[in-house]
Amino acid sequence: MSNENINEPVVNATPTPDALDSFEPASAPDTAGASALDFDDDPLSATGVSRKSLVIFFLIDTSGSMKGKKMGELNTVMEELIPEIRRVGEADTEVKVAVLTFSTEVRWMYSTPIAIEDFEWARLRASGVTSMGAAFKELSARMSRNSYLNSPSLSFAPVIFLMTDGYPSDDYREGLKELQSNSWYKFGLKAALGIGEEANDDVLAEFTGSKDTVVHAYSGSQLAQMIKIIAVTSAQIGSKSMTLSDDTSHELGEEDVFSAKQKLLGQQIQELVSNQVEDNDVPFDTGW
Amino acid sequence: MVELEIGQEVEMEYGGSAKVLSVIGSGGQGTVYLVRFNGMKWALKWYDIDKMKKPKVFRKNLQTNINDGPPSNKFLWPKYLTKETADGTFGYIMDLKPDGFDSFVDILNTYKLEIDPLTGHAVKRPVKFASLTAMVTAVINIVNAFRQLHRSGKSYQDLNDGGFFINVNTGAVLVCDCDNIAPDGSNFGIGGKPGYMAPEVVRGIAQPNVQTDKYSLAVVLFKLLFRGDPMEGEKVVRDVCLTESSELKHYGQNAVFVYDPNDASNRPVRGIHDNVIKFWRIYPDYIKDAFIRSFTTGISEPTKRIIENEWQKLFIRLRSEIIMCGCGRTNFSSMFVQPNEKTFKCPKCGMEFASLGFSDRKYRMPLYLGCKFYECEISPDSDDFTKIAGELVENKLKPGMLGIKNCSERNWKAKMPDGTFYDIAPGKGFPIWQGLEIDFGEIKAQI
Repeated sequence: MSNENINEPVVNATPTPDALDSFEPASAPDTAGASALDFDDDPLSATGVSRKSLVIFFLIDTSGSMKGKKMGELNTVMEELIPEIRRVGEADTEVKVAVLTFSTEVRWMYSTPIAIEDFEWARLRASGVTSMGAAFKELSARMSRNSYLNSPSLSFAPVIFLMTDGYPSDDYREGLKELQSNSWYKFGLKAALGIGEEANDDVLAEFTGSKDTVVHAYSGSQLAQMIKIIAVTSAQIGSKSMTLSDDTSHELGEEDVFSAKQKLLGQQIQELVSNQVEDNDVPFDTGW
Repeated sequence: MVELEIGQEVEMEYGGSAKVLSVIGSGGQGTVYLVRFNGMKWALKWYDIDKMKKPKVFRKNLQTNINDGPPSNKFLWPKYLTKETADGTFGYIMDLKPDGFDSFVDILNTYKLEIDPLTGHAVKRPVKFASLTAMVTAVINIVNAFRQLHRSGKSYQDLNDGGFFINVNTGAVLVCDCDNIAPDGSNFGIGGKPGYMAPEVVRGIAQPNVQTDKYSLAVVLFKLLFRGDPMEGEKVVRDVCLTESSELKHYGQNAVFVYDPNDASNRPVRGIHDNVIKFWRIYPDYIKDAFIRSFTTGISEPTKRIIENEWQKLFIRLRSEIIMCGCGRTNFSSMFVQPNEKTFKCPKCGMEFASLGFSDRKYRMPLYLGCKFYECEISPDSDDFTKIAGELVENKLKPGMLGIKNCSERNWKAKMPDGTFYDIAPGKGFPIWQGLEIDFGEIKAQI
């Protein structure tokens, strides 16, 4: 086998995705510096392996009702959560975080997803109403190969984690409809956390697509536990995937594995949550 | 899941208890704690038995492994089981990872994250092999560890990048996560990691066994040398998003090696797979051919996968073909110019290297100051690739004179410039000259 007949293709500027035909093509990646390779023949000078990226989107309700203890708790948990998620990413997964807050206005914490190593939580403040529909629309606009999901290499389907304490004040269905037509949303891992008495689990289940991936926190300690459970579990599943079937008598088909991760996430969240029911009946605003 | 508290005492199966000191890490099957037991520090793996399909059978297998002992000292092997708690939860203790070893994951990333305990900020520290010899030695050690494991009739089952620690200065290897190791043919519900799992496992038509281990081993070796995924090329990147069904397709039903000579549909992509493109040019053909076989024929025919002994021979050869040139360039002899059959020339500085030909092999070993050969290379019965048999050194009394020192425990014979053979006792040496011939016993060598 000689070296001469090997020609490396460059990335096609407009690849034609087959199975996932609704994923829009990438813009051409940066190929600068490629020619410099020819002069470097040191077997030890490697760059890190090309990693698959996993973006975790946090959609956080910062409306006025979140003010005070809820927001204080949430800020603290999120600060503590970042180092925990860092440990989840493996050699071949680069985990990034993007935070979208919604109240009267919809706002990204940073203008682009940030690698988990470098991510620093900027403390959030609460005021205004709950524009959840607008948040769904903004998320759908950014969950695109030409925007936030622009990794030149492969991506895992994103993790989308919604946290809210109230009923949407805008037409969330219209926003959700737009989001549901986004392929990244379709294949993504969706989970939601309702905070306190007002949050409506049915709305949240519409967002995640199943009740299994919706949980509810009524107290501060529950809020902390649930956020950690959901974020860590979904990051683990999102960056790993594929478990085996015990039954080796028939070959797996596409229908066997379709949304396997979302189902697994639902199972694991339910298992973990069922172990944390002790302080279930303490209302959110008491016991501080 | 029953998590352990810091300070909690965990009762051990044969008496005594281990005191939990801190959390080391957690994985898919449970959490690893630092514990104190019998006055020493150990690692305790504590299972999340809710996630186990057959905890009783799993525990029994673990007990068997503990009784059998590790195949060699390259394994961080389970030492003692704990008692079962009321709900059946249990764990085992093992030695702590010694200092000086980095995880395979960090080696692939080329850095590790160290967290500042006060601020929580993460700092990147580079992780890189100190020398080419250390890297190839690590490869030989990995291959040898799996050879020893498979010889003992067991398979590792979920071989992946989380399973090793490597000393980047020496190439020493430690195989960890040994708790899923099971007799070939049995499986306790452990899956594997996409990209490392054999295609037939991904497709759901086989369970992990010795043959699927061999596929995973080839992936590990490819990743270590070529720093990329053997199945991830243009075809895969086009999918943009790696969903469950695209994993099934690209790692199972339609896995195509990036350098499949008969299928160019999945070549590495510049800008993404630069490592693989670069290193594929550097490695000699016999190494590339072994990977081509593993990832073409070996995809559909598990019995034709490269066996560990064959890998071991190939990499012992590769180690002997490393040249460290005086100008600082270190590479394999195939990357040097060959003005004639017996000479290698550095393309950068022009320095020339003589070589030694052995009676039992066709390839030649380049000679440079500090180069070594090993027991297995001068004795056909030896499998010892770590014991240095000879080294090229400078004569301490006659500076500038280079020669080979007998580091073995046997007498050799060498032809000196006066044309006669002399006995070379252990610790002695002889100069390198144009007509040099060495008689190691069964194997002979000459310049």
